[in-house]
Amino acid sequence: MKKRTLALLLACSLCLSLAACGKKDPDPTGNVENSPEQSQDQPTTPAEPATVQEKLAAAASMSNEELYAKAQEEINAGAQLDFYSTTSFAEKAAANFMADYPALDGKVIYAEIDDGETYSKLSSIIGSGVKNSADMGLTQNGADLKTYLLDEGKAYSYFPDSMKSVVPEQYQSPAVVTFINSLFIYNNKTGSINFNNVWQLTEAEWKDKVFFKDPTNETVNINFLIQLTSPEWTERMEKAYEAQYGKAWEAGEYESASYEWIDKFLKNVNYTYTSASKMATGIASGAGGNLGLFVFSKLRKVDEADRGNLTVRQFEEPIEGFAGFMYSIYATVFSDTDCPYTCALFINYLLDEAGFAGPKSWNSSQGYYSPNTSIEKPNDIEDEAYSYWAECLVVEDQEFIYDNYAKVYEFISVRVGG
Amino acid sequence: MGNKKGQLSHRLRAFCSKPSNLLLVLFFVVLFCLSVLPLLTMLSNMFTVHIGTEKRLLGLDVGAFTWNHFQRLFSVSEWSKVNFWVPLKNSLIMASGAGILGIIIGGVVAWFVTRSNMKYKKFISSVFLFPYMMPAWTLALFWVNLFQNSKVGGGNVGMVESIFGICMPEWFVFGLFPMIIVIALHYSPFAYLLIGGILKNMDATLEESATILKASRWKIIRRITLPMVMPAVLSTFLLIFSSGFSSYTVPVFLGSSVKMFTLSTKMRALINAGYEGQGYIIAFVSIALGCFILGLNQWFTGKRKSYTTVTGKSGQVSLVNLKKANTPISIFLCVYVLFFAIMPLVSFALESVIRQPGNYSLSNMTLHFWMGTEYSAYETGMIAGILRNPTMWQALGRQVLLALVVGLIVGTCGILIGYSCARTRGSKLSHIVESMAFFPYLMPAMAFGTIYLAVATTEQFKFLFGTFALLILVAAVKFLPFASRSGINSMLQVSPEIEEAAMVVGVPWWKRMVKILFPIQKSSILSGYLLPVISVMREVALFTLLVPKPRYLLTTMLFSFNETGYSQYGSAVTLLIVLIVILINTLTNKLTGASLDKGIGG
Repeated sequence: MKKRTLALLLACSLCLSLAACGKKDPDPTGNVENSPEQSQDQPTTPAEPATVQEKLAAAASMSNEELYAKAQEEINAGAQLDFYSTTSFAEKAAANFMADYPALDGKVIYAEIDDGETYSKLSSIIGSGVKNSADMGLTQNGADLKTYLLDEGKAYSYFPDSMKSVVPEQYQSPAVVTFINSLFIYNNKTGSINFNNVWQLTEAEWKDKVFFKDPTNETVNINFLIQLTSPEWTERMEKAYEAQYGKAWEAGEYESASYEWIDKFLKNVNYTYTSASKMATGIASGAGGNLGLFVFSKLRKVDEADRGNLTVRQFEEPIEGFAGFMYSIYATVFSDTDCPYTCALFINYLLDEAGFAGPKSWNSSQGYYSPNTSIEKPNDIEDEAYSYWAECLVVEDQEFIYDNYAKVYEFISVRVGG
Repeated sequence: MGNKKGQLSHRLRAFCSKPSNLLLVLFFVVLFCLSVLPLLTMLSNMFTVHIGTEKRLLGLDVGAFTWNHFQRLFSVSEWSKVNFWVPLKNSLIMASGAGILGIIIGGVVAWFVTRSNMKYKKFISSVFLFPYMMPAWTLALFWVNLFQNSKVGGGNVGMVESIFGICMPEWFVFGLFPMIIVIALHYSPFAYLLIGGILKNMDATLEESATILKASRWKIIRRITLPMVMPAVLSTFLLIFSSGFSSYTVPVFLGSSVKMFTLSTKMRALINAGYEGQGYIIAFVSIALGCFILGLNQWFTGKRKSYTTVTGKSGQVSLVNLKKANTPISIFLCVYVLFFAIMPLVSFALESVIRQPGNYSLSNMTLHFWMGTEYSAYETGMIAGILRNPTMWQALGRQVLLALVVGLIVGTCGILIGYSCARTRGSKLSHIVESMAFFPYLMPAMAFGTIYLAVATTEQFKFLFGTFALLILVAAVKFLPFASRSGINSMLQVSPEIEEAAMVVGVPWWKRMVKILFPIQKSSILSGYLLPVISVMREVALFTLLVPKPRYLLTTMLFSFNETGYSQYGSAVTLLIVLIVILINTLTNKLTGASLDKGIGG
C-alpha cells in the first residue's frame, strides 16, 4: 500500500512540477529594455556605467590597458567570455589572446556554431539568463544578424575609437573582424578553361560542370545572389552581358539581367558537394575542367598532392562580371553578457594586428582579409589584398540584403527546388 | 449520497490495487509533460509569427496569430509545389519504399535464422545488425564512395570504377533509388529484431497442428506465421516509415546533387531561411502521417482478440529443412552481410588512413589521423591523431555514458509501459499512453531538439541548458518509442494466465516481473534496452542544437569533421563508434548471457 501511495504522490508531484513546462519566459524576445539589467527604474550612478550598452560605450574610448584591468575585475567576479563563432580560426585567435593577456587564461571559451542554426540558437540563448552561455558572437550573414539580434536588442555593436582611423566607417557598426571570399576555382588537370565572363556559366556547355552549394541551405550563398540583384550589380551584369553577346541586355521574361543570370546559372549548377571543404577536395580529385564557386580559404583542406590541380581563375585571367563574392564576419556583444569589457578587449584584439595576424591566425591563410587597412597580407601567400578583391567580387551589403531578402529568396527557392 | 461516495472510493481502491493502473497514470502524467507539451508547442508554432523574416515580412509582432504560413504553403503556386507537394511525393515514395524493403530484407533474414536450418546463423545474425549501428548518413557516404564515378557528380572515382572499371548510371548513385536502399539497409536490422523476436517465441504447436492437418508450408506461413508477426510487421513499418520520412542526412547526401528534395530537407531549409511557421507545418505533416499509420497499427492489433504467442505451453520450435537450397541461401546471405555490413567498415578503415582521397596505394597511407603527433590540423583544434587527443576521449566518454544511462532509463520505462498497456488493453488510458509514448518518434529530431532548446532557455528550466541532464532527458523521451514498442509487443505475447497463476499463490508484483515476465521475454526486453543505447551512440540531429559545443559528443564531433572536410577523422570516428557498439553488444552477451542477435536464434 505504501508503494502505491508513493507512486501516486510521485505522479502528482511530477504533474505539478512539469506543468510549468508550458510557461514561457516572461520576456520571450529578451529585449534589453524589459530586462531587469536594462530597467529604466534601476538606479544608476553617472560615474559608473550600469548597463551593457553604457559599458560598451565607455569601453570604446578606453585604452587596452584600462580594458584589461576592467576585464580582470569581471573575471575575478566570476565571469568568463563564452563566444560563438562560425569561423574555426577564432579559436586560435582566442588562444593567442589569452597568451597575450595571461590574467584571462582559460576564461575565453570558443564554441563553434553552424551557419544555418546560428541565429535560431542565439536568439533562444540570449536573454535566457543562463550563466556562461553566450557573451559575444563572431557570425556571418549580416542581414540575419540585424533581423534576429540587433533589431531585437539582443546584441549590440561595439567599435573602439582607436580603430576608427584605420577601418572604413561602413565596417564599424557592426564591427567587421574579417572578410572571407568565395572564388571561381577549377580543376586544371585537362588544362585551362574557356571562362572569362560570368554569362558563359548560363550556357548549356556548363550544365552540371559548375559546382555551388545549395543557396537555400547556405546563407552566405543566398546573400551573394540577393546582392547581385542590387542596382549597382545589375548594371555590371548588363555590361558583362553586352561584352559576352555583343548586344545590350533587354528586359523580357526577367525583371533584370541579374535575375536572368541567377535563373540560368542555377539551372546549370551541380549540387553534389554539401560543404565548401568537400567541394574543394572533391573538385581537386575529380574531373578536369570542373569549376566551383567556393570559399578560397578551403584550399588549405586539400591534400598537398592534389592542391596543384586547382587554379583560381581570376589569377589567370580577369573575369567579366565578377570573380566571386565576399562576405563579412561580424563581432557583436550580447545584451546579457556579464563581461562587456572583456568582450570589448577581445574585439579590439581581433581588429588589431596582434589578433588578426597572430601565429596561425586568419592572416596566415588565403582568403581572409582584415578591414583594418594597416594590416597587409604576407607576401609569401598567393593572394591579393582586400582592396583588389573589393573591386571584382560581389561584396555583401547588409542593408540591401535586409531589405530584399524575401523577394529574392523566394525567386531562388522555386528555382533550386524546381 | 454516502452510498455513491462509498462506491467511488471502492472503485478507486480497486483501480489502485492494480500496479498496471498506477503505472499507466504515472506514465500518462510524465508523457504528457515530456512528449505532448513539446508537440503542442510545435503546433502553436504553425500559427504564430516568429522573430526574424516572418516578423519583417508580415509586419506583425512576434507571437501574433497568423494563417499566413498555411496560406503560403498550400496555395496554388510554384512556391507550394516546390516547397511542399513535390518533396511530399518524394518523401512518401522514399519512406514507403524503405519500409517495405526493410521489412522484406529483415523479415526474410529473421525467418531463415529462427525457423530454418540455414548454415552460418551465428555469423549472419551477428553481422546483420552492423548497418543499424552506423549512422544512416555514413551508409549513404559509403554508397557514394562505392559507386561514384567519372560520369556522375563531380567525376570523383569510386571503388567500383577503380576496381572493376564499371560506371553506374546516375539514378543508381544519386536520387530516390539509393535513398530507399540506404534507409532500408539501415533499418532492416530493426525488422529483423522485432519480427525475429516474435518468430523465436511463437508457440510452435500452432504450426505443428497445421502440419498435422496437412496444410502446405506456404499456407502455414500465410495463415499462421504472418498473422502472428503482423503486429511486429506493422510496428516495424511504422518505425521505418517515420524514420525514413524524417530522415535528413540521407536525402542531403544522396538527393540534393540531383535536386531530389524531401520534406525533411525542405523543412530545414525553410526554418534556416526564416520561414519557421512553414517549416513546422511540414514537421506536423510528417507527424500526422505517422499518426495515421499508428492508428492503422492500433486498429489492426485491436481487431484481433489476442496476439498471445507465449502461453507457457509451448514446445520446441521445429526448423524448416531447406534441403538443397540451404547452401546457396546461406552463401548468398553471407555475401550480403559481408557486403553491406563489413564492407562499410573496411571502407571507413581505408578512408581513415589515406591522405589523398581516391588514392589507395600504400605510399598514400598514414596512421597520422589515428595516432600521429606531428600532423597539425589546427583549424579544427585537433593537434594529434584522434587516439591521442583528449577532446576525443572526453567526447567518447560522454557519448557512452549518455547511451548507457538513456538505455537504462528507457529500457526500464519500456517494460513498465509495455506491461501496463498490455494488462489494461482495451482501456482508453492504455490507448492514450501507448500513443503518447510513440509521439516523440514521429517528431523530426531537428524539430524536437529546437523545441527542447526553447524549453531549456526559459526561466524555469534554464538550469538544464547546456547540461548533460538535458541530453539524457531529450534522448530518453525521443527513444522511448523503441523500448515501449518492444515492451508492448513482448508483453502482449505473454498470456496473463502465467501471471495470474503467480498471483494466486501470493507472489508480489515486482517479483512476478523479475522472476516470471522478464525471463520469459528476455530477448525482446533486452532489445528494449539495447536499441536506445545503439540509437544514442549514433544520433546527431537531436543533439546538435543542445550540446554546449560541437565536440561535446562523439557523433556531433563526427558531423563537425564531415562538415569541415576532415573525412579521414570522420571515417576514423565512425569506425570507432561501430566498434564500440559491437563491444557493448558483446559485453552484454558476456555479462548477461544474452544479446540482440543471440536472443533471436543466432
